[in-house]
Amino acid sequence: MPKVVSIHSYRGGTGKSNFTANLATTIALQGNRVGIVDTDVPSPGIHNLFSLEPEHTHKTLNNYLWGETSIEDAAYDVGEKLGVAGDGQLYLVPSSVKADDIARILKDGYDVRLMNDGFRRLVKALNLDYLFIDTHPGLSKETFLSIAISHVLILILRPDKQDYQGTAVTMDVARQLKVRKMLLAINKVYSSLNVDALKQKVEETYGEAVAGLFPLSEDIVQLASEGVFCVNYPEHPISQEFRNVAQQIVGG
Amino acid sequence: MADIGDLQSLASSITAVTSPFRNYLTELHGQFQAINDGDVADYIPELALAKPEWFGICVVTSDGQVFEVGDCDQLFTIQSISKAFVFGLALEDHGRDYVNSKVSVEPTGEAFNAIVLDEVTNRPYNPMVNAGAIATTDLIQGSSSTERLKRMLDMFKRYTGRDHDINVPVFLSEKATGYRNRAMSYLMLNFGMVGDKIDETLDLYFQQCSIMVNARDLAMMSATLANGGINPVTKERAIDERYVQDVVSVMLTCGMYDASGEWAYRVGMPAKSGVGGGILAVVPNQLGIGTFSPPLDAKGNSVRGIKVCEALAKDFGLHLFNAAKPERELQAWIDGNDVDSW
Repeated sequence: MPKVVSIHSYRGGTGKSNFTANLATTIALQGNRVGIVDTDVPSPGIHNLFSLEPEHTHKTLNNYLWGETSIEDAAYDVGEKLGVAGDGQLYLVPSSVKADDIARILKDGYDVRLMNDGFRRLVKALNLDYLFIDTHPGLSKETFLSIAISHVLILILRPDKQDYQGTAVTMDVARQLKVRKMLLAINKVYSSLNVDALKQKVEETYGEAVAGLFPLSEDIVQLASEGVFCVNYPEHPISQEFRNVAQQIVGG
Repeated sequence: MADIGDLQSLASSITAVTSPFRNYLTELHGQFQAINDGDVADYIPELALAKPEWFGICVVTSDGQVFEVGDCDQLFTIQSISKAFVFGLALEDHGRDYVNSKVSVEPTGEAFNAIVLDEVTNRPYNPMVNAGAIATTDLIQGSSSTERLKRMLDMFKRYTGRDHDINVPVFLSEKATGYRNRAMSYLMLNFGMVGDKIDETLDLYFQQCSIMVNARDLAMMSATLANGGINPVTKERAIDERYVQDVVSVMLTCGMYDASGEWAYRVGMPAKSGVGGGILAVVPNQLGIGTFSPPLDAKGNSVRGIKVCEALAKDFGLHLFNAAKPERELQAWIDGNDVDSW
């Protein structure tokens, strides 16, 4: 049975796309067939991490939503360059970065049923083991949809008050949508914080497990949006933490 | 922040999209879209304009949840499907005994346009063949032809929850070429089975066949019958609860033209089809199905629509007399509990 994993955060800047790229790549490197859909239509970005240049992506999620292409034709193999080999595969369906395309989607909207049917079609057509959905921050139609169809919802938060509050709101919504499994990931944790105490506090507050903690990392910041960290630094503790999170998705 | 009511309603509209049951319907749609059998009706030029690839499936539960896939907004003429509902209106206007004295409820085994009346009683065989439908149309009350038409349109509005228009070119074409129906009307007039306002009644008959509906309307109409005559979304009563059984049972025995016996045996859902490509099917107390796909088989029933009803009946055990545990449990698939349709 394929598994759908949505990555979400209430506010922007939590490192959602970076997290998605690293986790999806980690799971693909373990020999799984993995797809990522960038549903962050208003502000797409994850394609940068896979060095997928807009001039080479003539078909995007937008074109699918407008009925101009099948969704599998908008999927690009991004795994090969990262060393995904053997049975593993890694595909990305990017959103368009053209201002006109973004404006058109925002102005006209799209049929949310089409998005649902597209996810299912993609899983079938590419025979995926895992489908990752990178979302736009905050609550929106596509957030609701991605939460409702997920087997696992990962909520990313930073240790600050605004994120705490927003995460609580998102969890209310997720429970209303009868989400099957929720995991929390805490990102950009200052080195001065006691990580064990933080983890315990967050788990007590929300009643859900913290799947991983990631330090505010100069290493990641340096790489910024130019690559997938866990490929470039496989032995780094951060890459190890991604493998821990992956274990909770693959195993659980 | 939205209050919980809004959150709940948005959440339920999203879960209707992601529900395993809708995913199931999407699979059916994809599977049957590929079937290219059957021919679009072309006895009048307007019907021949329908595109053979049009295909919509809508299911409305008797508690008002709507699941739709494909061309559910595409309008088409209701054609014979109206007959079941006009029969219901005639029953409300005159009561069961009087209506039965004018129209029998016996399946014919003949084609829907056969010129045949019961030899002993002179009644047309049932309200689903043309002769019977003309006789029930004759019974619709109203002080003028306009009022009689308005009463019919109001009735359809109660079933679907929205206003309906007549497709005038279809109406005029049917009227211009309806010699056979005219002949049947005079035969029935000869036996005193219809009144002498033949032209007015025939106009009304051709108009009711030319009412524009879509697959969602059909599903809403059948869900209303499934829900004891109350539209499950608007909560408005569309038909007196006493006559729901009349309409639904005649659909079961006569609704699919001369394929009705086979249908009752194999599918076991009271249904009515029209040559415009629509089929509606009722699963009492559970749901209504509406399908639209113009290519018809030799008996005049939508090829893809039949497939959809057959699959739903089989996979969810919706045959009226099914006693076996179905492969899929309907409520679980609708709610999405414990069902992983990936």
